[in-house]
Amino acid sequence: MNQFWLRISSNRFYKQLLKEPLSYVAGAVLLAVFATAHLAVFSKGWGVTSAFADWGAWVYELFGGNVDKWAYFSSEKAQKTLSGGFMNDGGSIRNLGIVLGALLATLFASEFKIKKIKSKKQVIAAVLGGLLMGYGARLANGCNIGALFTAISSLSLSGWIFGAFLFVGAFIGSKLLAKFFM
Amino acid sequence: MAEFTLDCLGEACPVPLMKTEKKMADLKVGDVLVVSIDHSCAMKNVPEWARKQGHNVEIEEIADGEWEVVIEKTK
Amino acid sequence: MGQIHRPESSGGRNRAPRKPKKSQLPIALLVTILVVGFGFYLNQYNDKMVVYLLFGLSFGVILQRSRFCFTASLRDPCITGSTSVTRAVLIACSLATIGFTAIKYSAFAGGNPIPGMDNVGQISFALVIGAVLFGIGMVIAGGCASGTLMRVGEGFTMQMLSLVFFVIGSLWGAHDMGWWRTNVIKESPSVFLPDVFGWLGALLVQFLIILLLYMAAVKWQEKKMGSAE
Repeated sequence: MNQFWLRISSNRFYKQLLKEPLSYVAGAVLLAVFATAHLAVFSKGWGVTSAFADWGAWVYELFGGNVDKWAYFSSEKAQKTLSGGFMNDGGSIRNLGIVLGALLATLFASEFKIKKIKSKKQVIAAVLGGLLMGYGARLANGCNIGALFTAISSLSLSGWIFGAFLFVGAFIGSKLLAKFFM
Repeated sequence: MAEFTLDCLGEACPVPLMKTEKKMADLKVGDVLVVSIDHSCAMKNVPEWARKQGHNVEIEEIADGEWEVVIEKTK
Repeated sequence: MGQIHRPESSGGRNRAPRKPKKSQLPIALLVTILVVGFGFYLNQYNDKMVVYLLFGLSFGVILQRSRFCFTASLRDPCITGSTSVTRAVLIACSLATIGFTAIKYSAFAGGNPIPGMDNVGQISFALVIGAVLFGIGMVIAGGCASGTLMRVGEGFTMQMLSLVFFVIGSLWGAHDMGWWRTNVIKESPSVFLPDVFGWLGALLVQFLIILLLYMAAVKWQEKKMGSAE
């Protein structure tokens, strides 16, 4: 049986369509098309990180915390999202979709592998990087998608300013990485 | 004409690229560096970088999600 | 590109023995079926959720298949001088600008509220600090928000860990948001370019910025790497 699948794997159409990476420009065009379609369908731009704050709130509530008094969650919309739960939150489902989509693409390319953490440095990098991104994304009202890609495409000046200072951060990050994490 | 290896398994972007860049600087013309990679992005950006530098590059998939990027230093 | 002569490769020195390859296609098909099943299950909740799932899946597949990485677009120029991803992001922005503006303008022309204005953010010191923190974080963690999600799907335990702390950081940020809003963000303006330059003017300004950045990206790579390919 494995032989049969391996024969498909060596088929040139399979390789072109499912295996070999697309060019960056092809990715750019596809992202632009789907981001536009997203705005057309939902009248809302694509974003990733605001759902993360909701996930945090749900987990916090599991441990007995309460976020109702927090200014961030005080709006009616935020409360509705929180009480609706994961399965009724489009942002959460969309993020889950990104994970599943990447998983499927990797599996269809037959390239899936669990990549274990190799060193303590990676643990520190992941923890520190995650915290910085989480906090930063709340301050800036989004990430590279919501505050950069979608904002710029929405003709918002905030997107360009976010991008400029993101570059400053990336520069500092690169220096830190070369110094401490290599 | 020596062959060197660089183990970047488990390393996330951009570490494989930075390590490769550093290692290539130590090599002599004609030497070959074999970089082991299991990061799908590095499998694209390491060869891309090496080609831009004018080196000869070959990619070999040695297992599911594991590649060897073979770089021959040409200058 | 010439054939590489690998001195010892035929002898197999230092080579890990090749494991016989196993195709993952059957698992891929199985997961596809599970995802489709999940879609039907979601449909019971709210028919919009399936559409969200489809968009998520599409974004995930696109990001993974093209190895698109917003982090790399800002990081690679600093590290190797390569700007190929940077230019791809600029292309994505320019195309999406056209699509977005078409949708926004037709809503505006029809007298309807303009959709997607949530992303026109307030410009304050919080945006600046947030951007810098985010920039540092994404380079260290090896992926931004969408990149982290994509790499979780690819099986990176490092990014699974960073996702957990991303969520914790988000909660922390949300917790402090009240303070930032009253003390820093306050009534900071949000600038929608068409309000300043008119619709056509805004597009001209936008494409001028993109063009200048694109040219700068090409020049930067030529300077750092000697070629702009």
